[in-house]
Amino acid sequence: MGIKQSPVWSFFSSLRLTLVLLAVLAVLAVVGTLVPQQETAQELARRFSPGTIQILSTLQVFDLYRSVWFLLVLGLLAANLVVCSLNRFPVSWRLFKAETPADERLFRDLPPERTAYPKGDREDILARAERALRRRYRDVRREELDRGVVFRGQRGRVTHLGVYAVHLGVLLILAGGVAGALFGFDGYVHIGEGETATAADLQGGKGQRNLGFAVRCDRFLVEMYDNGMPKTFQSDLTFLKNGQPALQGALLVNHPLTFEGIRFYQSSYGRSADGKARLSFTAKGEKKTEQTVTLGEAFALPGGEGTVQVLRVEEDMMQMGPAVKLGIRSDRGGIQFWVFRDIERIRRDNPGLYDQVPLFNPGLFAPYIFALEGVEERYYTVLKAATDPGLPLVMAGGLVLLAGLMIVFVVDHRRVWVLVEDARGKVRVAVTGRGQRTSAGLDRELSDLVRVFKEKGDAQG
Amino acid sequence: MMSSKILAWVTFLYFASFTGYLIGMIRGRDLWGKIASGAAAAGLLAHTAALLLRWKESYDLGIGHAPLSNLYESLVFFAWAVVFLYLVVEWRTRNRAPGVFVVPVAFFLMAFASLSPNVNDRIQPLIPALQSNWLTSHVITCFMGYAAFTVAFGLAILHLIKGRKKTGGTSRFLGLIPDREDLEELLYQSTLLGFVFLTLGIMTGSVWAHYAWGAYWSWDPKETWSLITWIVYAALLHARFVRGWRGTRLAVLALVGFAAMLFTYLGVNYLPSLHAYM
Repeated sequence: MGIKQSPVWSFFSSLRLTLVLLAVLAVLAVVGTLVPQQETAQELARRFSPGTIQILSTLQVFDLYRSVWFLLVLGLLAANLVVCSLNRFPVSWRLFKAETPADERLFRDLPPERTAYPKGDREDILARAERALRRRYRDVRREELDRGVVFRGQRGRVTHLGVYAVHLGVLLILAGGVAGALFGFDGYVHIGEGETATAADLQGGKGQRNLGFAVRCDRFLVEMYDNGMPKTFQSDLTFLKNGQPALQGALLVNHPLTFEGIRFYQSSYGRSADGKARLSFTAKGEKKTEQTVTLGEAFALPGGEGTVQVLRVEEDMMQMGPAVKLGIRSDRGGIQFWVFRDIERIRRDNPGLYDQVPLFNPGLFAPYIFALEGVEERYYTVLKAATDPGLPLVMAGGLVLLAGLMIVFVVDHRRVWVLVEDARGKVRVAVTGRGQRTSAGLDRELSDLVRVFKEKGDAQG
Repeated sequence: MMSSKILAWVTFLYFASFTGYLIGMIRGRDLWGKIASGAAAAGLLAHTAALLLRWKESYDLGIGHAPLSNLYESLVFFAWAVVFLYLVVEWRTRNRAPGVFVVPVAFFLMAFASLSPNVNDRIQPLIPALQSNWLTSHVITCFMGYAAFTVAFGLAILHLIKGRKKTGGTSRFLGLIPDREDLEELLYQSTLLGFVFLTLGIMTGSVWAHYAWGAYWSWDPKETWSLITWIVYAALLHARFVRGWRGTRLAVLALVGFAAMLFTYLGVNYLPSLHAYM
């Protein structure tokens, strides 16, 4: 039993299977756009019971496009595409070769404007017919019929093979996608202005990937239009190999940078506390002292009452604005408390705050009263880092697919026959043609061919 | 802005054109059809002028970019492409019947663009993600595709109406609709054109996404739905080409494809998406 008779082959060779698979794929894709995917799926977890969420997760509904289901359908579709293409190829190949001999019936019932009675002898007219065809069609053949001689010219027969280019393109794109998913990576790098990063956080919380080099963000720049819409984000980056600067460049949206095979994209940005804050304090009756402090550092109070250490710097503590947490060690023991910048407003909104939460009282270490002038913020940039070894396959697939589509839909297989026969002492020329599609173009080509015999014949006569 | 005023008149002309096609169809007079075609052509000319003017106005504001950058501009361009393709089809086939179903789509798009409170018609500067040479080619190819599918949709409805002939009596209305075979050929050709443009649109989009987002395909809802639309039309082409589907089944598939296309364009805006600005 040949492979083409096996039930597996016949299963995969049905177009009904293609239509069913395409429908299933469409339905899965619809589900994937309606159900939150990956990170955003956590929203859903709060609204449904853990059991339901468990079942849905096992079914990979939250990562549908990478699920076994989806890949299975894609795999079946690829197999279906290959088998259908192989099955149909011989038919298309025969059409492509187009070796069926000219048939007398082609010349039946031709309208008068498709025939001519040129003057001149038969050999001369035959030569003229062949010349005219060769000028217009690359592929010209001469055949002897009972009635006379037929020349056939054709062009565009490649259109029968275009569909295989389209299918090959789809397969290449699928293969490239699989290669990219298996051998590529996709992650984000967060870098504060002036800082250096050496690893990317992989997408989907799958850990980190060491880049093998360091990226420093020398400067982050954001520009706004007058109406407040963002105009430009730009990270000035330095790539360091073994501690030595190897590449410097500005990274902008739409303008990625590549270093050691990893492509970097400007993804987003934000502001975060820098760990620096401006603090002021007064002791009763004394002048206010202002000081810039850094997270983790300690300083001594001017009267020698103790040492203050900055334990935390927050740009927005519990949605009450910037705050720092101080720890003071003295001979009275250790004490910790928060200093909010907007403490007056917070107290107004929460009467009796210091009694309920003594920790929020900036005067907890008497006689000093602390105040926060502000927290210094700085930009951090978020870069996307990715490699995709499947990319060349995908690009090639896209080009092949596009070329195939053009060949199928733009190129028309046109065949033109010119019959030269004796008719009651004269020489009669009949012209006819066939195209894949109905179009005015073929009619024009045929009229043009007939004119060769009419005008030249008249001119010679 | 001058361009907005012209576009208001264009909306009116498309409505007039639709009315003309409708009266022509009901009364079976050619004169009304001619008036309708004239109104559509005049509307298209003014529409083209308004688009070019808006382009120039954006340069006068110092934020020059092609008028293809937000929902308003995409609606206006979509309507332009629909009327343009429809008039080409009308001119090639010398039949005005599809106008009754195609031109009102353009009218609704224009009316929606100017009347909906959610559609902002101001010329806005481009956010960084849109500052790319791929913007123009991506938007033009996608919307030419959408427009071709819209024409196919009008033809599919005509096809279905013509198919119900047996139940009704003979009417002038039905007599004016082209033969089902001709409709089907036109439907097929429009679908082909739309398919090629949609393919180009998806490809230019993924090249752009590769540069802007770092991935040629992210299963973003807009991407996914454009793929669904592509699949529906691919199924239509295969059903006809390989399985020899004809007639009603093909017309129904064209309606399904049109629904998928509309969802790709407008419905996806209600889902979280990277294409949020469109």
